[in-house]
Amino acid sequence: MIRRLDRFWTVFGREVRGLVRTRVVFVLGAVIAALAFGVARAGGGPSGGYVPTVVDVLVVVELLVPAAAFAIGYRALADATARGEPAVLETYPLSPWTYVAGVYAGRAVALLAVVVVPLLALGAHVATTAGPETTVLASHRGVDSVSLYVRFVALTALLGLVTLAVALALSAVANSRRRAILLGLFGLLLAVAGTDVTVLTALGGGLLDESALGTALALTPSGAYRGLVFEHVLSVAFEGRSGFVPTGIALVASLFWWASGLSLAALWAGFR
Amino acid sequence: MTDDVALTATDLRRSYGDVTALDGVSIDVATDSVTALIGPNGSGKTTLLEVLLGIERSDAGTVDYGESDARRQVGYLPQRPTFRPDDTVRETIAFYAALVEDDPDRLLERVGLDTVPDRRVSALSGGMTRLLGIAQALAGDPPILALDEPASGLDPAVSDRIFGVVDSLAADGRTVLLTSHALSLVERTADHVVVVEAGGVAARGSPAALCERTGGPLHETFTDLLSEPTAAVGGGGES
Repeated sequence: MIRRLDRFWTVFGREVRGLVRTRVVFVLGAVIAALAFGVARAGGGPSGGYVPTVVDVLVVVELLVPAAAFAIGYRALADATARGEPAVLETYPLSPWTYVAGVYAGRAVALLAVVVVPLLALGAHVATTAGPETTVLASHRGVDSVSLYVRFVALTALLGLVTLAVALALSAVANSRRRAILLGLFGLLLAVAGTDVTVLTALGGGLLDESALGTALALTPSGAYRGLVFEHVLSVAFEGRSGFVPTGIALVASLFWWASGLSLAALWAGFR
Repeated sequence: MTDDVALTATDLRRSYGDVTALDGVSIDVATDSVTALIGPNGSGKTTLLEVLLGIERSDAGTVDYGESDARRQVGYLPQRPTFRPDDTVRETIAFYAALVEDDPDRLLERVGLDTVPDRRVSALSGGMTRLLGIAQALAGDPPILALDEPASGLDPAVSDRIFGVVDSLAADGRTVLLTSHALSLVERTADHVVVVEAGGVAARGSPAALCERTGGPLHETFTDLLSEPTAAVGGGGES
């Protein structure tokens, strides 16, 4: 008797094969690597250590990762809908949850490859060029270390996975390639700027108290990412400063966006 | 062909806003036979097929399948089957086969595509794509096959080949339910014909019985039925 997990792997395998074949993944990986290395070297971060490198690339990564997530995810379900695939799959013992999970996992592997591999390569570059004050573990504030860089890469991967889930939800709602492009651009704009602008507008309009700004920013995917990077990576550089965002709220908010995105995608995919 | 019933639909109703697509349709689909739904464009054939499959919901009425322990109850060929263009024929069918633990090579062999397993889907002709769609519909060995316009847009020779495959599937003991405008092929292949008009059933019977109405081929009966002002009668009866 075939199990749900086997069907998941079947869908997953097809996604990975399709992405490898389109070469989009390789182009994205090359673009991210070129920009990350270019910006870091221009800022001189690698010779200064891991934390200076993170400072150099943070803004670029915060824009590039959602862009890569939407590039990989915007057509994931829309193309299948345009092909009439859900109606056919409805006649198979395949739940929309298993289907969406397989599609998501396949795309997530591709996204992580294009994001994590260039950043790890940049980390390796830092390891070979940084000064002797860079260590493996930071024992106290002000000390640079590779463990801080690993945290940065992990948080960046989290941002990518959350944004990809949102991209998949929008792809499920779109039922044609044109709508998928429009919704993808809308989602990308929302992810990289819209949510932060909304929070800041609320602050400016008096709808939000300044003391709640950190919490409010932690509720958005980009705000949560930025806050967590400041809190857990860059804070070594800020003597006496912490509490950029509440870590728990930022993580729960990220989990909420991730689960909501995948749930909406599965519910909208709608077969069976 | 037997007198057993594979599928019973009772009083199916479906509307889209002010447009009535199905108006109280009841049909029985006999096992091990080919039942063809024919009718003009927009008559409700595809809606009826999709409601019978459960792809489309009905506003009212019931659809009952016979008892079966099949891995997949019904196989479905959509009107325009479309697959991932960059996948090969074998990769495409292997995906569907894996979902129901079937053998992709057996499925390709069954429809005659075993000679082109490495061809990209984008390089397939319309007829081959339709055959690939039929292979997909056969995955999991479903007892009922629902084929929506299996020969539409194909040249006569390819249409003939498609209906030849349909014929052989029925000979294997499957229940085939199809919609089609290819009336000469329906007349040759189908055991039962249901004429759908304006969301209802205008007539039903064997091709021979329907042809007796005018004494000519099926398309004459079809034209004659549709020229009657109150052709659609809906309701129950046997298919």
